[in-house]
Amino acid sequence: MGADPNDIDSLMTRLADGDRTVFTPVFHLLWGPIHRLCVSLLKNEADAADAAQEAMQKILERASDYDGVRPAMPWAMAIAAWECRTIARRRGRRREVLGLNSDPAGEHPEREFVHRDLAIAASTAMGELSIADQETLVATFLDEATSVSGATLRKRRERAVKRLRKAFWRLYGLD
Amino acid sequence: MVSIDLSRLQRRVRRAYELRRLRRGLLGASPIVIVAIAAACAGHRPMSALWFGLAAVTASVLMLWYGRDPQKAVLPGVAAGLIPLTLALCANHVHACGADGCGTFCVPACALGGAIAGLAVAGVGRQRKAGVWFWLSASSLAILTGAMGCSCIGYSGVVGLALGFAAGLVPALLRRALGGKST
Repeated sequence: MGADPNDIDSLMTRLADGDRTVFTPVFHLLWGPIHRLCVSLLKNEADAADAAQEAMQKILERASDYDGVRPAMPWAMAIAAWECRTIARRRGRRREVLGLNSDPAGEHPEREFVHRDLAIAASTAMGELSIADQETLVATFLDEATSVSGATLRKRRERAVKRLRKAFWRLYGLD
Repeated sequence: MVSIDLSRLQRRVRRAYELRRLRRGLLGASPIVIVAIAAACAGHRPMSALWFGLAAVTASVLMLWYGRDPQKAVLPGVAAGLIPLTLALCANHVHACGADGCGTFCVPACALGGAIAGLAVAGVGRQRKAGVWFWLSASSLAILTGAMGCSCIGYSGVVGLALGFAAGLVPALLRRALGGKST
């Protein structure tokens, strides 16, 4: 079942306001995407289940602090991604203690998680931009030639980056 | 495949949600503790002020924990209640002496403060088009906060406060009721 982001926004606002009747719908709307995110990040069912449960507790514990201006799903995903990172770090430490080297996440699992988190966060923020801004940023990233050049292109890039920064701030409260 | 007991998880998460709200309620009501201590120190009847203060703090914690309309009523209710509280504490220190002896202006100050508080709560309630629970919660908190100072000469001060409050509130309530019927 796919969660409608607008629906979860209004439900989270009601839960933040103290409306307990929406607790169960919010719980079920969040559980699927959070669990899937944890499975995709941790690549391990047991760790993903632990991380998803911890994340759900933290998200709904903080539901009263939820700011209705921000979209709820990226906010919840950011908390879950952080929880997955914590679990991965713990797992890495455990492997170090046991002297195991067969970590599927590679030699630097923590760095890989940071990169993966950032990539997810950046693509969510990109989704908030207009098509023109997205094209400008992708062309810049891939170093592709565009129909415009020189000062116009520079200006367009600056504006797109500024809007991306704003979207990132709005979603995660960070620059 | 790891199986997760979702109903158990939901209960655990729900408990965490309620505990967090309770903690927020306790934190949010802490300024009223300071007000109650100040009222007890400045007034002539510290025990009455402390009892009304305890009632005001308990009611605030419950309202902040519950949320919705009662939560929104805490700030306007307490702010409105500070008016009769301040007036009563000031009136405690003013005496009028005549042939029959001396008296304080406690009851008139409480009635006047109560009327202003009633008007203030009515103004906020009308502006927000608030529901019944907002009116009830804000009124009870305003009276409990004001009563910390109005118990200066016994319960007649509190009765004066309640009558004044009702006088300030009733016109707005009547207008609301009549407006509600006409629409």
